[in-house]
Amino acid sequence: MRHNQMDTETNGQNGEITGLKMDFLSSSALESSTSMEKVSMIVDRVKKGDLVVIEGGLTPEEEAELIETTMREIDVENFMGIDIYTVEKDKTSFFGLSRKKTVGMTIIGPANVMKEVKKKSNFISMIANMGDSDASLH
Amino acid sequence: MNLSRFFKPKFFQDILKKLLGKNKTLKIGFYGHPNSGKTTLANRMTTDWIGKPIGTVSQVPHETRKVYRQEHVTVKDEGVELNFDIIDTPGIATKIDYTNFLEFGLSESEAKERAKEATKGIIEAIKWLDDVTGVLLVIDATEDPLTQANITIMGNLEARNIPFIIVANKIDLEDAAPEKIDSVFPQHTVVSISALNGDNTKLLYRKMVDKFK
Repeated sequence: MRHNQMDTETNGQNGEITGLKMDFLSSSALESSTSMEKVSMIVDRVKKGDLVVIEGGLTPEEEAELIETTMREIDVENFMGIDIYTVEKDKTSFFGLSRKKTVGMTIIGPANVMKEVKKKSNFISMIANMGDSDASLH
Repeated sequence: MNLSRFFKPKFFQDILKKLLGKNKTLKIGFYGHPNSGKTTLANRMTTDWIGKPIGTVSQVPHETRKVYRQEHVTVKDEGVELNFDIIDTPGIATKIDYTNFLEFGLSESEAKERAKEATKGIIEAIKWLDDVTGVLLVIDATEDPLTQANITIMGNLEARNIPFIIVANKIDLEDAAPEKIDSVFPQHTVVSISALNGDNTKLLYRKMVDKFK
């Protein structure tokens, strides 16, 4: 599977997160994967504390499967779930007559890491929490 | 205000007859975030239509942790027997932090147990998407409606061709902004109500007839 990784250390000696690892995956990196493979890959990485950035979006069925798989993997003390955010882009039709919004990229990370997010439809800014878990319930 | 003075039983019977006008079981799922007011609305409806509530409500998120089904709402119309089911589902979320429950006075073990049960409830709610024939997506009008849970629910309903109505709930609260829900989902039917005191529920029932008949 082709993808890029943006460093760094994820775990110190005492198990605390000392850096944030971000994985960027192009749409072509996922096109040969089944929905189950995509979801498993995302949950495996996020559960380890990684942030996953995907070009494009998941299908509604994949989103539901992602939530379902996340619920199965939640460990109330160590893994409290995920946050998902999308950034949209305009897509022009073949004849250029109409525009509609599509998902340009999807950001998925551990709920206790994605501390504060400011979002517009085509812009996202996030502060990662590298210490204690303090994510809120939504 | 006692709404029963205004909404006579015949009104609800008429609504039921229209809702159940075809020969199949209509299963209306109540979906949305935890604490959006799904069970309060379900209770409002079952009390209006069959005279009893369906479940318990609470300020603590994830009070409903398994699917509650009110069935056997049976109407006989010209010899045809039809059933109307209400499916009240646990709130869907992408994360559950048990420490949030501690703020409501639960002990740590109770909070952890509630979190574990909530994860199972969310899985059950998602599975029910395959079985419902209509949905009320209940959104707390005091909160941001553009959440991943709401987007995922709507995307799955559209993919499955399941008709749905967005219910902008809690308009009795001062900081409710149902117009924001209208503006971000202009392509969908949005009805603003207060499930707690019954405001606009009559309009919601009429929209349900239009949408689900």
